[in-house]
Amino acid sequence: MSKLRLRSVSKRYGATVALEYGDLDLEAGEVHVLMGANGSGKSTLSKIIAGSVRPDSGIIELDGKAISITNPQAAREFGVAIFYQELSLAAHRTVAENICLSQLPSTAGVFLDRQKMIEIAERRIAPFLDVVGDGFSVNTQVGQLRADQRQLVEIMKTFAQDADILIFDEPTSALDRAQVECFLNLLREQKAAGRCIVFISHRRDEIFDIGDRITIIRDGRTVSTKVLSETNIDEVLIAMVGEGEAVAEQQSQSLPQRTEIGEIKLVVEDITNDSLQEVGFQVSAGEILGLGGLHGHGQSAILRTIFGVLDLGTGQIFLDGAAKDLNSPRAAIRNGIAYISGDRRRDGIITDRSILENVVPVYALKKHLIAASPNTLGKKARMALELLQSKYESLAHSIGSMSGGNQQKVVVARWLMDAPDILLLDDPTKGIDMATKKELFNLIRELAAQGMAIILYSSEDAELLENADRILVLNNGKIVRELKGSERTRYNLYHAAYEAA
Amino acid sequence: MDATLTSRGNWQSILGRYPFVPALIILIMLLVFNGMAEPNSLSFRSVNGLFKTYMALMFLAVAQTLVVSAADVDLSLGAILSLVNVTVVTTIGVFGDGPLAIVAACLVGVFVGFLCGLLNGFVVAGLNLQPIVATFATGVLFTGIALWVLPVAGMPVPSAYWRLYGGSVLGIPFIYYILAGLGLAIFLISRTTLMVKILAVGDDQQGAFQSGLPVTRIRISAYAYCGVFSAFAALCITGDTASGDPLVGNAMTLYSIAAVVLGGTALSGGKATLLGAAIGALTIGLINSLVFFVGTPSEWQNLVQGMSILVALMLGIFVSRRVEQ
Repeated sequence: MSKLRLRSVSKRYGATVALEYGDLDLEAGEVHVLMGANGSGKSTLSKIIAGSVRPDSGIIELDGKAISITNPQAAREFGVAIFYQELSLAAHRTVAENICLSQLPSTAGVFLDRQKMIEIAERRIAPFLDVVGDGFSVNTQVGQLRADQRQLVEIMKTFAQDADILIFDEPTSALDRAQVECFLNLLREQKAAGRCIVFISHRRDEIFDIGDRITIIRDGRTVSTKVLSETNIDEVLIAMVGEGEAVAEQQSQSLPQRTEIGEIKLVVEDITNDSLQEVGFQVSAGEILGLGGLHGHGQSAILRTIFGVLDLGTGQIFLDGAAKDLNSPRAAIRNGIAYISGDRRRDGIITDRSILENVVPVYALKKHLIAASPNTLGKKARMALELLQSKYESLAHSIGSMSGGNQQKVVVARWLMDAPDILLLDDPTKGIDMATKKELFNLIRELAAQGMAIILYSSEDAELLENADRILVLNNGKIVRELKGSERTRYNLYHAAYEAA
Repeated sequence: MDATLTSRGNWQSILGRYPFVPALIILIMLLVFNGMAEPNSLSFRSVNGLFKTYMALMFLAVAQTLVVSAADVDLSLGAILSLVNVTVVTTIGVFGDGPLAIVAACLVGVFVGFLCGLLNGFVVAGLNLQPIVATFATGVLFTGIALWVLPVAGMPVPSAYWRLYGGSVLGIPFIYYILAGLGLAIFLISRTTLMVKILAVGDDQQGAFQSGLPVTRIRISAYAYCGVFSAFAALCITGDTASGDPLVGNAMTLYSIAAVVLGGTALSGGKATLLGAAIGALTIGLINSLVFFVGTPSEWQNLVQGMSILVALMLGIFVSRRVEQ
């Protein structure tokens, strides 16, 4: 008998259907992968099980008995714990308080039992002790942690609830490989202990590594459930996209062969600042330079330094042979540099504003626009959006009405309205579904072919290996190795990244 | 460079754990200024007087901090104070002057404060109305009730009440027992699970809800305790003014918010210090006394007061920003 069973569960918000038809069977002791494009309804389905979204219709059965999960507290009583993709942490509370927040230990039911809370937290931190990194302790405020550390806290918080049903909605998007490994080991333990686990991830290695069964959601409907060992990525992608031919065919193509590389566009010399040590390299027109290594070892810092966000320190930057003082993003943009970050909320979208307003700001800055009519601008914006085959209802709609992948397309379109010379990509496909990822990388390669100089950091090694002509491997803010031509292999990449660690 | 980095790191962790430190520094500076302007202002008697006058504001600031922690605000607590003040005074009038009657009247007052807080919590968290507007409205309502209970200021309290408040027990001024009580309350409340939950709600309400916290109940509790502490403030003001006044507290509401911020609490919620709020209230008291002691002409007092509070606010924020960078 299934542990948890969902039958034709649905949820709408006004006219928008978040989940049209959700069917799910969870067995005890299995890792059940949910997969689907962004906006297909995975998160909604998860939140329905976790009680933070109430379904409009459908049946939920726990151990064969119909139940109704009215709120997160009720879900907890039914033994459900969830890792939220957008995290549910209190920034000013400590790591320990956050881990224990759902069940704070108390004396006399009134006072916080700090000692016991720290014991509980330390037990949950223990498995990750070697990978949490610097500046992490039970008493650190969560707001002072790095993104990957915050994600680990949310993971620990989920485990701390000792629930029978664990849901993980993209728990690994900010983690490096060692952290992911730790997490997957814990999942295996939980699985062996008979817990049932729902797992959502866009990283295919993880899915095939840890998953037992997979349920695919497309446009708000669960379309099929398969045993993972009896399927492969192509089949999964086809089910996910629906009209699978195009995607499946692209799958076979990898390792771009390009020999024509233009003149040197960008030279970086000897940057040493808070996060980098003696970093120097050059990029040519038409080249895609990859930055690899464990997450958070200076890849973003390089890009953000070139873009004028971080202090340049002792180094120098030359564009087309001339030294430039790029002390602010404004200066960088005016010098033809573009920066696209995977952290859409922080660096990308302007929340609550229209799609048009989200596409035009860089163009407006470069052209020194003071006043412009929405019509003229709209035409140009539409052209840029069409390059990316973005799906949107009208330019006047709020950016919030789009799915994550389409929002990222808008951010990319923003920079393409007036093509830059140098494109900096900071993990640009974080949290985006595979089909959109493919489209974006096709575009990136095309831009390189047109002569743009591109620096790409991706937390997914497969993306780097498939797209970069050359890969610089970073460790602790230092470039430790350069991989060219046939050296670009997964083994070399892992090897260089872990060498000095 | 390393040394400055670590010392900044130390400051950061000190400020993270004790966010009231800048307020304390400002308080000490003000004490020094006061002493320089008029050495007498630091005498035992003057300090007693300062506590007697500003004890009510200290309680109000603590009350306000409880709701601000949850990213709410209470614009009615001055009115609650007034309502409790007139309730206590008239109840004593009904019960008689005996010590038991006084105690009973105080209990009635605290209960009224609790009910007012509960109503605030209900309209803000239960009905999901905007806290600023909703508590502004309930504040007007409470003032209306206070005016109905006691239309004109001036009904005196029995001398036993204000003599105790202004007098000494076992050789120690009674005000210090109240101060100790407030200190103990701050110490205990800071250690409750409820306070952690209130702060978690203030940090990220949606996150707290998704973590399985009963957000509505937590916010209502914060308002209810806020009402209780406003009632305590009313008991102090009753001892200080020795009479009932249906409008005595209304001007104090915004002072309580200023005290909260001076103390190092963020109005955006999630980051709060009860002790800081009490220190902030004293800071306002010391600013007022400084303005008096340097001999500011009366027509300039408001201007100087306002400027001084602004400067104190800027100093506090400047210090914490420098450290947090």
